[in-house]
Amino acid sequence: MAALKKCFHIKNRDFIHAGEASITVQNMLKQLNMDPKLIRRIAVCGYEGEMNVVMHGGDGQFCVEVDLDKVVLNISDDGPGIEDIPKAMQKGFSTASDEYREMGFGAGMGLPNMETHSDQMVVESEKGRGTTVRMFFFMNP
Amino acid sequence: MPGEHIVFEPAYCTGCTQCVKACPTRAIRVRRRKAVHSKDLCIGCGECIRVCPEGAVRSTISHGIPQDLAEMAVAIVSPILYAQFPGVMPSDILVALKRFGFHHVVDLTNYVEMFQFAVEEFIHQNKTTGQAPWPLISPICPVIARLIAFKYPNLLPHIIPLKRPAALIGGEIRSQLQNIYHIEKPLIELYHITPCPSKALAHDVRLLDELGYIDRAIGINDIYPELIRYVEDVRKQDLDLFSPEHYGNVTNARAPLWGMSGGEIAGMHVDKTLAVSGLRESIAYIEKIEMGLFPNMEYIELRACPEGCLGGPLTAVDRYLAKSTVQQLIRSLGLKRRLPREKLLKLYDQGRFMSDTHPSVMAERYDSLRPKMTIEIMKRVEHLLSRIQGTDCAACGAPDCRTFAEDVVRGQADPRDCFRLREKGIASEVDKIEISG
Repeated sequence: MAALKKCFHIKNRDFIHAGEASITVQNMLKQLNMDPKLIRRIAVCGYEGEMNVVMHGGDGQFCVEVDLDKVVLNISDDGPGIEDIPKAMQKGFSTASDEYREMGFGAGMGLPNMETHSDQMVVESEKGRGTTVRMFFFMNP
Repeated sequence: MPGEHIVFEPAYCTGCTQCVKACPTRAIRVRRRKAVHSKDLCIGCGECIRVCPEGAVRSTISHGIPQDLAEMAVAIVSPILYAQFPGVMPSDILVALKRFGFHHVVDLTNYVEMFQFAVEEFIHQNKTTGQAPWPLISPICPVIARLIAFKYPNLLPHIIPLKRPAALIGGEIRSQLQNIYHIEKPLIELYHITPCPSKALAHDVRLLDELGYIDRAIGINDIYPELIRYVEDVRKQDLDLFSPEHYGNVTNARAPLWGMSGGEIAGMHVDKTLAVSGLRESIAYIEKIEMGLFPNMEYIELRACPEGCLGGPLTAVDRYLAKSTVQQLIRSLGLKRRLPREKLLKLYDQGRFMSDTHPSVMAERYDSLRPKMTIEIMKRVEHLLSRIQGTDCAACGAPDCRTFAEDVVRGQADPRDCFRLREKGIASEVDKIEISG
C-alpha cells in the first residue's frame, strides 16, 4: 500500500509560522490514534528540523509519509548547506548567530537530539547546495 | 451532554455559516440553509452565540429573572458582576442584588484567595512529589477542561485537581445555613450569577464540582437591566446603614482581578507562568504544550473567552470597559491578602481544597465521541481534497473543504453539496474515484 504523503512549505526566518508544520503533523498522527509517545518523538524531531530550516536554511519543504509500519519525515531546504556534517552532529556545536542566541537558540542540540529521538536519520548536504534530513520512525520495531 | 443548553433557532437563522466556521470542534453544519449542531461534539464554549449576527443561537442557562425564588435563595456571585458597573463599589452591587429576593449574596473574595493559596501550595509540593506533570494547567475554565478532555486527553493530568472558588463555598454553605436557620437542606437553593454559559448543569463534567452544588445558573446579562436600576437606587437613596443589607462587604479587588486573563497568576507567588485567552489562541498554546515546548513552565492560565471571564458571552458590558473597571477597583481597594497562612495550610493538608474527582475522569466520557480515523480514510480524504481544490467557502455547509471531505468519506455528506465537484462534473462519481497507486 502506498504511503499517505503530505508536504508543507517552510519559509526562512518566518518565526510567526515556524513550528506549524510539526503541529499539523502531530494533529494528523493523533487523528490516526498513533501511540502518543511515538507521536511525541516525531513531533519533537520534526520541530527541531523545522526550526533549523527557519533559522539556518533557505526556504524548504517539510514532508511526512505515513505507512502502516513506519513514519518518515523528509525535511529539505535550499540554504547554504552543512560544510562538515560530523561536526554538525556534535553536541554543543552551533552556527547560530548572536541574534539567534539572544532568542534562546544555538545550544547546538538540534541535530544530535533529532538523531537520538528518531530510529534512523540520514543527512545529505553540500556547501552551497542545500540540505536534506530524512528521519525514520518504526512502529513495533 | 455539555452542549445541551446551546439552542439554535431556525426562525432567525439565515445559514450564513459564521457559527460553522467558529466552532472549535466543528460540531455545526448548515443543512438546507439552517444551522444544525451535534450535541456529542459540542463543548459549550459559546463561540457560536458570540459570532451569530442574527441572534439565532442562545444558551438556555438563564431562566431570566428568577420569579420563583426558593424560601432560602442564596446567590453566589461571580466577581465579573462587579466589573459591569464602572465607578460603583462592589458592596453597593451586592446590596442591590438582594432586592431580587436573595436571602444571602455570597462574594467570592475569600474563596479566590483560598484557591490561589492552594495552587501555590500544590505547585510547591509538586516540585518534590512530581505528582502532576509540568506545566500545570489552571482548572478554572470549564470550556478549556472539556476541550482538553475531547481533543487532547493526554493533557488531562496537567490540570490541577483543585476546587474552584464557587465550589469551595458551594460545598459548605448548605450545612452552614442549616445550622443557623434550622431549615431543611432542600429549601436552600443556590444560584450562580455568572458570565459563563458552561456553568449550566452538565452531566459529564464531574470535574466541575460547583455544578453539583449549584441549583441554577443565571446569566449576568439576564438580570442586568433590572439590577442597574436597583444599583442606581442604592446609590441615590438615604440608606439605613445599620440595616442587615449592609453587613456584607467586599474588602479587596482580588476576585475581579482573578476574572481577568492574567489576573489569576498576577495574584499568586508563582514564577514561571503564562496566561492565554481566546479560543483560537488557547488551542494554539495547548498544541504547543502537547509538543513539549514549555518544559520550564510551571503554571499556565488558559481562558476560552477573550480577556478571560470578562469576555464571557453572558456579560452585559463590553470586555475592555469591564477591564478598566477592574483596574479602577484594584487602585481603590488594593489586593492585600487577608487570610492567615497557617489556617489555610491546615485546611490544605486536610484535603479540603482538592476537587472531588480528578480531571482525568473526563477522558472516559469523551473517548467514544471522537470520530475514528484510519490511514485509509485519511488517504481518501486527501485524494478527494485534491479533486475539490476548494477555498473553504463553506457553501456546502461544512467549515472547510477538509471537514467536508471527511464528512463525505464517512457517508455523512452528499458530494453534490460541493459546487466545485459539481462544476467539474464529478460529484456523482465520487464513489468511483479510485485512489491511485
